[in-house]
Amino acid sequence: MSDILAVDGLTVRFGGLTAVDSVSLKVPEREIHGLIGPNGAGKTTFFNAVSGLVTPSGGSIGFLGRTITTMPPYARAALGIRRTFQSLQLIPRLTVLENVLMGLHTEIRTNPWASLFTLRGRDKGEKEAQARVLATLDYLGIGATILSQTGTLTFAQQRYVEIARAIVSSPPFLMLDEPAAGLSPNEVRDLDRLLRRLRDERGITILLVEHVISLVLGVCEQVSVLDNGRLIAEGTPEQVANDPKVKAAYLGEDSGADGH
Amino acid sequence: MWVRFCERWFGLLLILGLACLPFFLDKYTQFVVNLILVYVTVGIGLNFLLGYTGQFAFAHAALMGIGAYTVGLLTTRLGISFWIALPLAGVAAAAIGGIGALPALRMKRAYLALVTLAFAELIQWVLIRWKDVTLGTDGVSIRPPRFFDYALKGDYKIFWLILVVTVIMYVIARRLTESRIGRSWVAVRENEIVAQCNGINVTATKLVVFMVSAFYAGIGGGLFAATLGYIVPDGFGLLQLVLHFSIVVIGGMGSVFGGVIGSLLLTTLPELLREYPQALELIYGILLCIFIIFMPTGIAGFLKQWRVLPPEVMSRNWQALRDRPRPEKRS
Amino acid sequence: MDIATLLVAGLANGSLYSLMALGLVLVYKTQDVINFAHGEVLATGAFLGYTLYKVVGLPYPIAFVVAILLGGLLGGLIERIAFRPIAHHPHITLAMVTVGLSFALKGALRIPYGRDIYVFPPLMGHTPIMVGATAISPQSIVTIVVALMLAGALFAFFAYTTMGKQMRATQQNITGAALVGINTGRIFSFTWALSCLIGAAAGVLAGPLSLLYPDMGTNYLLKGFAAAVLGGLESVPGAMVAGLIVGVIEMLFGGLISTAFQEVSAFFIIIIVLMFRPHGLFGQKPVHRV
Ligand SMILES: Nc1ncnc2c1ncn2[C@@H]1O[C@H](COP(=O)(O)OP(=O)(O)O)[C@@H](O)[C@H]1O
Ligand SMILES: [Mg+2]
Repeated sequence: MSDILAVDGLTVRFGGLTAVDSVSLKVPEREIHGLIGPNGAGKTTFFNAVSGLVTPSGGSIGFLGRTITTMPPYARAALGIRRTFQSLQLIPRLTVLENVLMGLHTEIRTNPWASLFTLRGRDKGEKEAQARVLATLDYLGIGATILSQTGTLTFAQQRYVEIARAIVSSPPFLMLDEPAAGLSPNEVRDLDRLLRRLRDERGITILLVEHVISLVLGVCEQVSVLDNGRLIAEGTPEQVANDPKVKAAYLGEDSGADGH
Repeated sequence: MWVRFCERWFGLLLILGLACLPFFLDKYTQFVVNLILVYVTVGIGLNFLLGYTGQFAFAHAALMGIGAYTVGLLTTRLGISFWIALPLAGVAAAAIGGIGALPALRMKRAYLALVTLAFAELIQWVLIRWKDVTLGTDGVSIRPPRFFDYALKGDYKIFWLILVVTVIMYVIARRLTESRIGRSWVAVRENEIVAQCNGINVTATKLVVFMVSAFYAGIGGGLFAATLGYIVPDGFGLLQLVLHFSIVVIGGMGSVFGGVIGSLLLTTLPELLREYPQALELIYGILLCIFIIFMPTGIAGFLKQWRVLPPEVMSRNWQALRDRPRPEKRS
Repeated sequence: MDIATLLVAGLANGSLYSLMALGLVLVYKTQDVINFAHGEVLATGAFLGYTLYKVVGLPYPIAFVVAILLGGLLGGLIERIAFRPIAHHPHITLAMVTVGLSFALKGALRIPYGRDIYVFPPLMGHTPIMVGATAISPQSIVTIVVALMLAGALFAFFAYTTMGKQMRATQQNITGAALVGINTGRIFSFTWALSCLIGAAAGVLAGPLSLLYPDMGTNYLLKGFAAAVLGGLESVPGAMVAGLIVGVIEMLFGGLISTAFQEVSAFFIIIIVLMFRPHGLFGQKPVHRV
């Protein structure tokens, strides 16, 4: 199996602080890969570097066999790197439809003549896009909310809207930054099932940052552990869970140790 | 379907009703109506930039001036047909505005305002100083446009021309805001980082919206020139700009309806206050502050909240989604 | 014209641009918003000075002090009434309010002063002092000296007073400042007051150098912008030095090339800075924050 993401010696510095310190990580296709570590370990920064939001001070990032280290973020998104954010980043005043359509920006092919200048303004691209949004929302079980104002939905629904925006373009690769934060145990179980379905039914490779360790250990095939920007352990969930270095890293920071 | 149907027929009826206005209005009222329509285009254009994309810029009056002078100089001094000059007015404003704004687009948001304010002064200065071309402060009088052999002379006849162009610009605006382009504007306004992670090139989007906005200003300026029949550089200064800001803010930021409502109210206001021109700036300034603080979505937002106006969902023909069969809810 | 003469005149105007840029930078650093009403603050200061000196008949130094204190009061009031309630609104709201204020202030000046032009008599007569071939107008000297004194007082204020130190802390990090117990609301009011006090001072000083009319602020605002951009938009010493540079460049432009170009020098300075040194002479390269 080939690697979809190949990060080599990635280093990100903010002034004097080294947030990510020569981290190398390979994610094979169709894997759910966990990335854990205490608060401030550099997980979000790692995501930001892969999405192109921060410029690395060193190392390289490869995606689907291409080097994307210096590619701007919008081009990476067009290649198929999609993500969610640690805190909800939706537009609350707009409908779910509009929010999720943002995820299709690079996919919609409009014919400007037909859509802008003809009398009826029929727009096939837009219609297909709406159908894709609807299908995605139905897939996530929130199809009924399509015309609701996003800010009026429950927290869990809004998390799903964000996931919908990230997967509506059928990307090969998805990065989720703490998707279970703030969900109830039942909702975490739904999320667990969803992640497996995304991998099995849609073939999406997932990189998952999560503090709810039960979710990580249950769903991931491989787990990498960051501490102080450094990669301190890597392996199957069992190997990582029993690694003394990992236990030491979480010591005194047990809020993350078991989630709830 | 029903809502869309109503909206469409209501729109047609409105246009037909408007088209009959010249038979009922006196000359002065007709002139004011013409101005209102001109400002619909201008206001919608600024709303793209300010309301939809959240970019603060000061060049709109100057860009309108570029449009007005393009029409004025091309038709009067070079004898080019109005029908060619009007689109060129839009293109000229978009091109010059785009070049002017380019250096600021990659910088922090404050810079666009700084650059465009200086740019607006530069345009004023060119209009005044480049006498050989622009005739300076003497101004330019505009020859009435011709429709085949028929001269559209006077407020009544020019009205139909303005009406047609305004309707076209309005329809294009609605469709732009219902497409991925309009949504990319809002995405940039709300959160540039999220926009980028969804494949939106933020700098390119800002350039596009600035140029589209400038195009509207240019077309509006061309119509303005045809309406007034005579233009001077001073007409495109800060007083013009505050009128534009007020149209967008009071009408409703981020709403195409807002541009229409705003121009209706704010074009009539100065006509009502003709006795007190000195108070105009004070009133505009205070109204701007009051609306932006207490009613940031403007009158259009208020009317949409009370369902007097339909919602403006940014996806073409979204109403069809209302009528689809509801799927079973998955667990 | 003699280069040295141009230089002195440039420094005199430039010190006013410095003061304008200082006021803009102070507010920008604390609240991340450009105060587009700052030109009208200058015009208000100028007319206050004019009215107190010429109409009321106060001695000049007293008129000056009263005018700038009133300017400071105006700034504090603006912050308290118009800004405090909306401090958490989106950036565009704040910027738009300053635009609204700018027109409101101009409109308020327009009611008593109309569209006429007023002349503020120079304090020390018109006769230039001749140093060799260099003609120096006494008013230029007064302007430069007073502006430098104000700037010096400002630096001392930031370096030595508690309020000044708290203001700097707030500029660095608002949340942090609030956490260590600084009353940030008071800091904001004070920043606006200080900024407008300096702006009004520039106005009173500008009176004899230029003509007085309610629209006079726009030109100074633009030059202040150019100076602020050249100084890096966030640097107080940068604004100070850049203002002088802008004043001198403008005079050299006017004296050596053409006075017509002098009017648009602000635009060219801003564009050239953005193209070749976008973070200005003294600003730091921006650190990207996600
Ligand atoms: N844009 C930034 N500028 C400066 N420091 C940052 C920035 N982003 C993150 N950091 C710092 O980098 C470190 C890692 O942060 P982060 O990646 O958010 O950790 P995690 O997501 O694992 O909790 C933290 O010390 C954080 O303060
Ligand atoms: Mg994080």
